[in-house]
Amino acid sequence: MKNMKEIDIPIEASVEQSRTNPLARVFDELVRFCRSRSMFMLHYCTGCGAIELPPAMTSRFDMERLGIQPMVTPRQADILLITGYVSIKTLKRVILTYEQMGSPKYVIGICSCTVNGGMYWQSYATAKQLDQYLPVDLYIAGCMPRPEAVLEGMRKLMDRIRSGEADGWKDYYRRYDWYLGNQQHLFGDDWQTPADVIGEASHYDLAGSGTEGEHTHLLQQCQKPLEPQQTFFQIGGSLEVKGESHE
Amino acid sequence: MRPENYQAISHPPSNEYELNFGPNHPGIEGNYALKVKLHGDVVVAARADGGYLHRGFEKLMEGRLWIQNIALVPRICVPDPVPMEVCYSMAVEALNDMEVPERAQWLRVLQLELSRIAAHLFTFGGHAATTGMYTTMYWGVADRDQILDLFEEWTGGRVYHIYNIPGGVRRDIPAGFLDRVSHTMDYIESRLPDYDNLFFTNQVFVDRARDTGPMNQQQALEWGVTGPNLRATGLAFDVRRDDPYLVYDQIDFDIPTEAPGDAWARTLVRRQELKQSIHIVRQVVEKLPSVSGPVRTQIPNPLAWNVPAGETYTRVESSKGELGYYVVSDGGDKPYRVHIRGPSSMHAVQVLEQLAVGARLEDVAQIMFSLDACPPEVDR
Repeated sequence: MKNMKEIDIPIEASVEQSRTNPLARVFDELVRFCRSRSMFMLHYCTGCGAIELPPAMTSRFDMERLGIQPMVTPRQADILLITGYVSIKTLKRVILTYEQMGSPKYVIGICSCTVNGGMYWQSYATAKQLDQYLPVDLYIAGCMPRPEAVLEGMRKLMDRIRSGEADGWKDYYRRYDWYLGNQQHLFGDDWQTPADVIGEASHYDLAGSGTEGEHTHLLQQCQKPLEPQQTFFQIGGSLEVKGESHE
Repeated sequence: MRPENYQAISHPPSNEYELNFGPNHPGIEGNYALKVKLHGDVVVAARADGGYLHRGFEKLMEGRLWIQNIALVPRICVPDPVPMEVCYSMAVEALNDMEVPERAQWLRVLQLELSRIAAHLFTFGGHAATTGMYTTMYWGVADRDQILDLFEEWTGGRVYHIYNIPGGVRRDIPAGFLDRVSHTMDYIESRLPDYDNLFFTNQVFVDRARDTGPMNQQQALEWGVTGPNLRATGLAFDVRRDDPYLVYDQIDFDIPTEAPGDAWARTLVRRQELKQSIHIVRQVVEKLPSVSGPVRTQIPNPLAWNVPAGETYTRVESSKGELGYYVVSDGGDKPYRVHIRGPSSMHAVQVLEQLAVGARLEDVAQIMFSLDACPPEVDR
């Protein structure tokens, strides 16, 4: 395991592919316009900022007029809202959720806790900076941000999607090794997820020099074929945990 | 996981299977999970899986000054933060042997009851949503916002107020504020018949909530159930009346109870408490102009405030149940130990695990909402 600060961060300029079709740019613009006007937001309340989402979604502030609706499954969702502090246990689920979502996908960090730890800067249980582990497209600061601030943030994200600036998901594929290194630093070297990120990166033509590296090699070594999970409940009704740790 | 490492898993044939319910699930309340074992769609066993919201409050509070902790405690229970502030302030006052001015006590009661109304509107909105009645949720959230507007004018914050400090409250109410409180109470009271028609007497709700997750009084007492959930089993226990704090002994209010102890009774108790809280707020509004004086006592320099050594336990009735703070001071400028007795840690762990057994999967969310469990308070 390497210290987070020693890892150099490769950043590559986005490679504009040569588009032969003269209408490609027009189509891109149209697609981005449509994409920004109909967004599904994953219904996952990770922290206290989630309490301001019901007012933002329901009658008074009405997020639906911007074309944003809550969606219950990650695979159909476009936006992952991280509403507040993420404990280590939640962060694992957040990363699993993020990797399940179909690209393009956008991450919004709400509340100051996602920016720098916020109120819980000295807590032993929370991850302090979200953008070490996931590419964050937009932060909405405040403790907690008002519904108006959430709506304003959503409008900003829509603008950024239309102009093509919200490309955090590309960054995750391009610098997967760096993100994975930080995740391994936090969760241990045997951390793995079911998603095949490297395969997806080559599918989107985004695999670069930062996609694979020492951390992905470590992941390859640690990956074992899945074994049938041991049951959570013991036979006979007693509720003891068997096998892998509860966490 | 690269595809070459993937292997299909074979399971032994069985009628029973395990299901992860949450944390990312629309039915679950907050960031919380249950592992349920199902036979068909009937729950055979359930196990609570918390810890997603753990921040280590009790440890964090040991590292901060007495006055800094005021900003930390409301974060413990997000939908109903006011009792946290009040209870912690009361504990520090008890350690210091400090008298709170009478006006501050009435202001605290006003804030507690407004917070209770907001929390109850939110809860039964959520309960309605789990039975498919989203209109009630929209109405509940919108009416709760009326109270949040009052809080915003009064304290500057919609959700977290940080208004109570040891020794009183930070500032007095703005001019004309009581009129607006009365107006909002009139509005919410006028909405209650609408809620009755839409939700509480709705056949869908009655059929689904009746006999769902029942517990009797003895079980409730054994499992440490408090608050509306205990009163729904027929026992009229309320900290406000049985161990009066602040000025609750000068206030007239009833303690509504229901006998059956099922999800229907629990939500109906909250509906009646809403009316009692409006009644209490009206009494406070009537009384406040005649209570004059300061709103806080002089406290020492809060940055170098050594609270006398000792230990205390204070409790208040929050919207979820009995909330207590056990605070130990060793005479320093920071608490030596703080333990929080949250009502939800009983309701969402041991009670929910028991009540979910025998229920159908679609009723598990309803049972959780009817228990009014607050996941951030469970994990702390």
